[in-house]
Amino acid sequence: MQIKNTETKYGAIAQLFHWAIVALVITQFVLAQRADNLPRPSLALLSTLALHKSIGITILMLVVLRLVWRWLNPVPPVPPGTPRWQQLAARVSHAALYALLIAMPLFGWAMSSARNFPVSWFGLFTLPDFVKPGEDAYRFFHEGHEILSKVLFFLALVHIAAALKHHFIDRDDVLMRMLPWNRKVRSEH
Amino acid sequence: MRLRHQLFVLLASVCVSGLAYAATQWVMQGKQSTLTFQAVQAGAPFEGKFEKFDADIRFDPSDIAGSRFEVKIELASVNTQDSERDGILKGPDLFAVEQWPIATYVAERFEHRGGAKFSAHGKLTLRGVTRDVPIEFTFETNNTGAWLKGTGKLKRLDFGVGQGEWKDTSGVANEVLVKYALLLTKS
Repeated sequence: MQIKNTETKYGAIAQLFHWAIVALVITQFVLAQRADNLPRPSLALLSTLALHKSIGITILMLVVLRLVWRWLNPVPPVPPGTPRWQQLAARVSHAALYALLIAMPLFGWAMSSARNFPVSWFGLFTLPDFVKPGEDAYRFFHEGHEILSKVLFFLALVHIAAALKHHFIDRDDVLMRMLPWNRKVRSEH
Repeated sequence: MRLRHQLFVLLASVCVSGLAYAATQWVMQGKQSTLTFQAVQAGAPFEGKFEKFDADIRFDPSDIAGSRFEVKIELASVNTQDSERDGILKGPDLFAVEQWPIATYVAERFEHRGGAKFSAHGKLTLRGVTRDVPIEFTFETNNTGAWLKGTGKLKRLDFGVGQGEWKDTSGVANEVLVKYALLLTKS
């Protein structure tokens, strides 16, 4: 597999970024769900949220690196003949996904700061607090974090649905370009 | 005559010994003085403070033998800017403020470390447990009074601050750094 993107396929680096972020985002939803069901206050909640924060910051770092890589290494063009509205929809939804993947960790970070719970990255270093502690600030960022998570969930579903539609209905290579294995595009039209 | 003489000597010696213990008595200015602590939770340090405390400071850099600190801290006045965490701190597993509302720090042995620097060997009584807690501080006088600023380190579990699951030091570290800045005026 190519390291860099080609005209027809995402390279190894772009795929690694994509699937690593997918795995981490799923982990985040699982951890958030678990945290909601833990007794508060408890040590288990504290460590679950500490892990959630560390992974969130990891996602933030990966997304930034991914955008740099994307800028250095343009993505494969859309399949020829894609309608304008679909090109636009893809652009907008991809941009929104990136924006959410950046905004969500930032809101989480701010909401931690607002409760005077500074964020540590796996205990290796502590992030600075840009938000002063306060209950109003906490409520704002907490609410925002939750709304963004719902939007992200919904957009991820749309993203998956679109990929499956390309694969099974349009029968093009849009999904396959983000997968490590190769398969000939069925040529029925 | 002899009796009067003896009486004079006695009085004089009382005065002299009184002078030896005449280290200045200071009055702490509660509004400007702070008592904070830094603990590490899930790998990240956070700060908290005690809103209510009082320090009875008798101190003179030139008479450390006659100096004495006695600090009383109202544990229920803890403020970490998070009501949930403050609740845990006041609760039975941490400070247990209902049973032990006050922590006391008493220092009677001081050392001059040069310049404005000093150290004290004091004892902290917290949660019914008394342990040595050495502190380092600076004492700087000005026209109106003095600033006493410094730090001390303690291990929370030495005092039983952290029962049950809170004994785990991966969640909350054992070491706690205490910082204080007391504005003192002459009484």
